[in-house]
Amino acid sequence: MKIVVATSSVPFIRGGAEILADNLRDALSAAGHEAELVSIPFKHYPPERIPEHILACRLVDLTETCGVRIDRVIGLKFPAYLIPHPNKVIWLLHQHRTAYELWSHPRAGDLIQGPDGPVIRDAIRQADRELIPEAKAIYTLSENVSGRLRRYSGIDSKPLYNPPAHERLFYCGPAGDYLFFPSRITGVKRQWLAIRALAQCRERVRIRFAGDPDNPMQQEECVNIARELKLSDRIAWLGMVSEEQKRDLYAKCRGVIFPPVDEDYGYVTLEAMLSSKPVITCADSGGPLEFVMDHQTGLVAHPTPESLAQAMDALWADRRSAAAMGEAGRARYRDLNISWPNVVEKLLC
Amino acid sequence: MPKNHALRILIATVRVPFVNGGAEILAEGLRRVLIEAGHRAEIVAIPFKWYPPERILDQMLACRLLDLSETFEVPVDRLIGLKFPAYMIPHQRKVIWMLHQHRQAYDLWQHPLSDLHTYANGSEVRAAIHRADTELIPQAQGIFTISRNVALRMKSHCGVNAIPLYHPPQDAALFYTRPAENFLYFPSRINPLKRQELVLQALAQTRAPVRVYFSGSATEAAFERKCITLAQKGGCADRVQWLGSVSEEQKRDLYARSLGVLFPPVDEDYGYVTLEGMLAQKPVITCTDSGGPLEFVVDQRTGVIAEPKPEALAAAMDRLWGDRERARQWGEAGRQRYDDLHIHWDNVLEKLLQ
Repeated sequence: MKIVVATSSVPFIRGGAEILADNLRDALSAAGHEAELVSIPFKHYPPERIPEHILACRLVDLTETCGVRIDRVIGLKFPAYLIPHPNKVIWLLHQHRTAYELWSHPRAGDLIQGPDGPVIRDAIRQADRELIPEAKAIYTLSENVSGRLRRYSGIDSKPLYNPPAHERLFYCGPAGDYLFFPSRITGVKRQWLAIRALAQCRERVRIRFAGDPDNPMQQEECVNIARELKLSDRIAWLGMVSEEQKRDLYAKCRGVIFPPVDEDYGYVTLEAMLSSKPVITCADSGGPLEFVMDHQTGLVAHPTPESLAQAMDALWADRRSAAAMGEAGRARYRDLNISWPNVVEKLLC
Repeated sequence: MPKNHALRILIATVRVPFVNGGAEILAEGLRRVLIEAGHRAEIVAIPFKWYPPERILDQMLACRLLDLSETFEVPVDRLIGLKFPAYMIPHQRKVIWMLHQHRQAYDLWQHPLSDLHTYANGSEVRAAIHRADTELIPQAQGIFTISRNVALRMKSHCGVNAIPLYHPPQDAALFYTRPAENFLYFPSRINPLKRQELVLQALAQTRAPVRVYFSGSATEAAFERKCITLAQKGGCADRVQWLGSVSEEQKRDLYARSLGVLFPPVDEDYGYVTLEGMLAQKPVITCTDSGGPLEFVVDQRTGVIAEPKPEALAAAMDRLWGDRERARQWGEAGRQRYDDLHIHWDNVLEKLLQ
């Protein structure tokens, strides 16, 4: 089949969604299909840009190429999943979140701040409600995303899990003296919360952060918090690391911290499980909660510095229990049967 | 601007899904050299479908609706627009390096290989394209084209001035030369616009037993069959070889061993083949209506410029075949001319980023 994977992206930003799109294309090619990525640039501000980008996507024609039919379009991200096609399947990574569950979020909420925010929000919601059901089938990245789609748009869908890139290359090494926090450095990943928790830890916990900031200001903000709290010597900012380095950092950490705000899915959880490491997450972290079993494969804390500090102390103080939880996480990953052939089969049926 | 200041640069182009051609290679080449020069560069490729004609208007509008001014409040320092209609994406610091306009609305309007004029709304869409180009192209801070040919077309159709900016073919440093063997080389997609047909008609009229090697994949099976039949009818099938798609190494080897290069397309925008022939120190035979190649081939000094007729092309081929020493000298002069033209990516970047 000739298949187009349609997504939106912000130039110069490479995160989980971009990796997923590449991996999906590769998995489709590996299954013998001709697959190609179409990525429409997206800018979410000022708010009136959003309806314009919805319109731009509706104007794109992916029905055929040079007279040859394109057999299927797989839509991933807003607003690219609104590109019309008679044989479209949506595998929803997430809707435009600040029009939904992040609308009034104190840090993430942006639409709410403009005078025309409510109008734009309603336009986004209406477009989703009316146009998502054009697809022949609707899958999502996780139960979390399906739940939101049901709750806000009244649309049913099925979660379809996918493995992180290079899942076979993850391994477990002896636990070192740091917790690992790999993520883009940005408000909703809550590096700042981990730093504030660190200030309250009784143990001399150390954290290594890996990942680029979306905007240099955001890292500076975190660095400043750490400096004010006199924690700079217990924190390392590694920036963007290679895949090899990342796997090495997973392998040698004592545990992984991943406390984002209502994450859609979260490869970090799965990568930690593949590395046999326990995961600390938060009760409001979304996706990770579908995988982390409290006190069995990691710890689920409240999203407060105190509660997170307790969880960090607990992992730090008891190496043996940390190692056991990590192994249980690895076993749980295996049981979930997460694979690309399964994803491809569902998206093409 | 400090010399080592790293810019965030977007290359805006369109892409017909599943098609990989010269434009894609150019965009990727440009991205690579920008990164090598220490910048951050990405390609933004909008899908494009040119039929039915109203789709063209939709996609022009889609491009106008995109906002590439910044990402997460960090400015995009430069937008480089390459292909229609992506070069219409608005940006405060845009330069256009035009590969070509939508040719069916201009020089290829009513051309036998075009379809825009065959639709009821074809004229209307053509007028909209003209209007959009005329009004929107001048909004760019700098307007460059890949060749003088493209600049002249834009001047005559839209009244817009542009500066030609040449760039080297892929892996220019890897071309070399070898002593000439007994064949002329014609590397190109097998396609009516490249005119393999004309070469076969010429071959039937040469006095010398000229041999031609064709390489390149066929984009239209019917045209390829027509060419093969033509060679048989002209009684020159035994002097022709169809090599199909060849690797880059094979291609450079064929250039190196050829006696000369044949490249007689219809109004080519630019044409890497000419430059590759010059890099391999081979004379190039082209035609008076071939467009881009005429900016490089100097008649009777680095090659031959023939009328696009079988007799004239046959005479040019005979000429090269009959005097191998002269062919060698013209090839050397072609290489010298390539070097004198200073076709370097450094120069391209300097112009696009100034």
